[in-house]
Amino acid sequence: MKTTGAFLAGVVMVFCMAASGVAGDTIKVGLVDTYTGPATTFTNDVLDGFKLAVEKINAKGGVLGRKIEYVTRDDKFKPDIGLTMAKELILKENVDILMGTINSATALAVSDLCKKEKIPFLVTFSKSDKITGEKGHRYVFSMNENTEMVGRATATVLARKPYVKYWIAGDDYEYGHAIANGVFEHLKSMNPKVQLLGQSWWKVGETDFTPYITQILAAKPDFVIVATGGAGMVNFQKAAQSTGFHKRVPFYQHTAIELSTLMPQGPNAPEGVYGTANYLFYYPDTKENKAFADEFRKAYNRYPKSGALYGYLAAEFIAKSFEKAGKIDREKFIDAMEGMTLDSPVGKLEMRACDHQVLLPVFFGVTKKSPQYEFLVAGDIVSVPAKEYMPSCEEIVKARAR
Amino acid sequence: MKKTHVALFLLLAALCSLPLFLPRFYTYIAAIVLLTALLATSLNLAIGYGGIYQFHHAVFYGIGAYGTALMLTRTPMPAALGLLVGPLVSALLSLVMGVICIRLSKLYFGMLQISLGSLVWATVYRWYSFTGGDDGIHGIPLPDRIATPDGAYYYTLAVTALCFFAMHRIVGSPFGKTLQGIRDNPVRSSAIGVHVKAHQLVALVIAGLFGGVAGSLFVVVNNSVFPDMMFWTFSLEVLIMCLLGGMYTFFGPLAGASILVLLRVFVSVYTQYWSLLLGAILTLVIIFLPDGVLGYAVRRFRPGEGRRA
Amino acid sequence: MGWLANLVSTGTLSQVLVGLSRTTILFIVSSGLTLILGVLRIPNVAHGSLYMLGAFSAYTVISLLGGGLSGFLAALVIAPMIVAAFGFVLERGFFSYLYDREHLMLLLLTFSFALIIGDLVKIVWGSEYRSVTVPEFFQGSAEIFGLPIPYYNLFLLLIGPFIAVFLWLVINRTKMGKIARAAAVDAEMVSAVGINVGWVFAFTFVLGCFLAGLGGALIAPMVNISLGMDHSLIMEAFLIVIMGGLGNIWGALLGSLIFGLTQSLGILIWPQFGIVFPYLAVVVVLFFRPKGLLSSTW
Repeated sequence: MKTTGAFLAGVVMVFCMAASGVAGDTIKVGLVDTYTGPATTFTNDVLDGFKLAVEKINAKGGVLGRKIEYVTRDDKFKPDIGLTMAKELILKENVDILMGTINSATALAVSDLCKKEKIPFLVTFSKSDKITGEKGHRYVFSMNENTEMVGRATATVLARKPYVKYWIAGDDYEYGHAIANGVFEHLKSMNPKVQLLGQSWWKVGETDFTPYITQILAAKPDFVIVATGGAGMVNFQKAAQSTGFHKRVPFYQHTAIELSTLMPQGPNAPEGVYGTANYLFYYPDTKENKAFADEFRKAYNRYPKSGALYGYLAAEFIAKSFEKAGKIDREKFIDAMEGMTLDSPVGKLEMRACDHQVLLPVFFGVTKKSPQYEFLVAGDIVSVPAKEYMPSCEEIVKARAR
Repeated sequence: MKKTHVALFLLLAALCSLPLFLPRFYTYIAAIVLLTALLATSLNLAIGYGGIYQFHHAVFYGIGAYGTALMLTRTPMPAALGLLVGPLVSALLSLVMGVICIRLSKLYFGMLQISLGSLVWATVYRWYSFTGGDDGIHGIPLPDRIATPDGAYYYTLAVTALCFFAMHRIVGSPFGKTLQGIRDNPVRSSAIGVHVKAHQLVALVIAGLFGGVAGSLFVVVNNSVFPDMMFWTFSLEVLIMCLLGGMYTFFGPLAGASILVLLRVFVSVYTQYWSLLLGAILTLVIIFLPDGVLGYAVRRFRPGEGRRA
Repeated sequence: MGWLANLVSTGTLSQVLVGLSRTTILFIVSSGLTLILGVLRIPNVAHGSLYMLGAFSAYTVISLLGGGLSGFLAALVIAPMIVAAFGFVLERGFFSYLYDREHLMLLLLTFSFALIIGDLVKIVWGSEYRSVTVPEFFQGSAEIFGLPIPYYNLFLLLIGPFIAVFLWLVINRTKMGKIARAAAVDAEMVSAVGINVGWVFAFTFVLGCFLAGLGGALIAPMVNISLGMDHSLIMEAFLIVIMGGLGNIWGALLGSLIFGLTQSLGILIWPQFGIVFPYLAVVVVLFFRPKGLLSSTW
């Protein structure tokens, strides 16, 4: 018993003596994200895109005479660890701004925390539409697309196509259902002729899709919406390639045309798969995009994926908002960022004031082989600008009032 | 005995005064350590004192948390009721699962519990409209007094202390001693007329109840719940806390929980290979300190006390 | 009664074939697990990590030797051997000193190894996804009853029985195998007869690891090779072993068949909740036969 007491007292003292971060003459940004496991293929891009922009900003003298410094914390894709790390960054490291995370549950929990602590939180990969939708508030901003946006944008393109009988399939978790429902519900409202023949849902991390594929083919739909996330993207495309699924029935996946999905498969990815993406390093073929991609490649020895854009946007918004605010004040920072537009590799982007969502264009395309690269790229690209698909401010206000 | 009481009182006093001189973040961590210690000790009732292979204890933690969260967000009931209902639901679940699994023993019991527990997890994970699915539930409203960081800490401290007191009494009671007897020799216990299965079932319900209390404390401290709380890998982590600290001492799990939580919060800042470090530490503990850190300390500094049983 | 119509259609036969091909990998991995559990009495939670190690090793072998058929077949032999060698080190270096400990301790020890191996894989191969292409020989699919079954799945379907027979031969016809079976039932007795039980245990553990690595190498062309693979399979493997009877190879085969078939047929019946069926099967089996379908060695 006494040993326990002594032990605990010792432990408490040791950790009390840990130094805490002291806010100095810098702008401190805290990044809480998943740096362990398969998600790192995405989150490393966010960090590297952020770092690239920050280095440039700091080289030009920083923001309001201060350099931007950043600290990272790994949440291991677990929301309770993410919450703890966020608290550590806010309470111990005294960061000015918080950024992160790829896990939507973590993002929502941290968003709630930031609302209480009154510190701005920039979401950089989580795709839950609740973040800037019904659970949105003054202190949270999103740098990336969400499932509602993807659903609407995709529906506008699919509504113009001749397909009628749809099948929905995907990873059995919130993201999968949100994407699939987002696409189909909006599709139906734009094109009432479409019908849903049936649905198939498999566990997240499923490795063998053959039984699902044979079952879907037996039902003979015109088109399949496949709502896979993360690792499921490549797994499903591999299964499609082996069974020739994509040749028998056209299908769509969000991020099917992205580098993260196509590069690991090399020249063997399936052609003719429909998909959407928010960043492609080769499109649009503008000076800004080429410059960004070349700089990224020089610094990190790989092509940038969508995460790089989000990280870059976060850095740019942070810098420009503080400059506009004129001082290091969180409330003025938020006021400055609302409605701000800035230049990005994909053109001029606006941070919409009513919901704190970056208005990104969505690129809809089809996978095809490329003479230039070892991997497949997107072809027949249709660019859907934000104003064509975003939910209106009234709808957002209504959702948040619930 | 008196000396122990004084030591305990001093410890309690120290814990009460923490928020006065520690920065906010450490108070938060202290609250997490306390509730995790409660969770680990509740598991130890089943596994250390009962010898039951409770492989999926996290289910009761998670259900306690979700029960509380759902009561607080979806019903107009007063918070006090919500905080009570959560643990009661997990005790009930423990009873139901216990009745199904108790016919088996050892490894089979553990595996069946994992299967059933996984079904519970899968239900919570998929029932998006009711439980929030894999997004979890956030922004859970609490009464003002315990909504502040200090308030949450004191509430956690009070509840944890009470539960520890209760569990200590249970372990020392005739029931507790019989349970340990069953752990050491079920055949003999049965031969002298002890209803083995009934005792084990009661132990499981108690363990589930206190695990659920730990879950409700998580809601108070974090205002959120996640389905991850009842995933089988977390159950193994809680098991590790008991092992690390020492399964055959009452405060062993508390030591194990403290070490694990503190290490994770403060060391993972410096390295991304946290799993490697944890695995290595565990391996060393299993090989060299089979009775856990506290078990070793007790044997070394107080020989003759705290033998197995 | 749409689901009944679905079940009796030609789709069913394709699903049965597909279910059988899934059985192969489930069987290979769970047979290794059940061997280790039956003979050494170790619930090897690290089995999933060894499977993942096998997949990554196969990726490296194929990258070095080229992606053709010969490279792939070489990977099927070399990758499991790498995992087996690793297992040998684990067994001789750690487990052999701890057999007198309780099962719970051994289980937690294997969990520690699972943590360590997981990070070792990250250190050696990094955290990006890896991918291995199906060798050209197996690319494409056959039309069976109007629906496509990939040639690779057919390959798995065919080698499954070979591996089962091979294992049976090793366990029942070789001297080492027979001694291992005896040791599973009564290790003390085997030792008393003068046989070095330590080597028997080492042999069994290494064989179990080889099988885990083989499972990983076989699944490599079908999936994204990534960290996290270890978690996905370990639960299913344990459930199959429990269903089939601890230490029973045929039990592992039976369990894998039930698991694979209930899943692929379940998808026909209820595509939205197909994943539930194998777990339901487990609960039903354990309810009626708590010790597993076939005899266990415990």
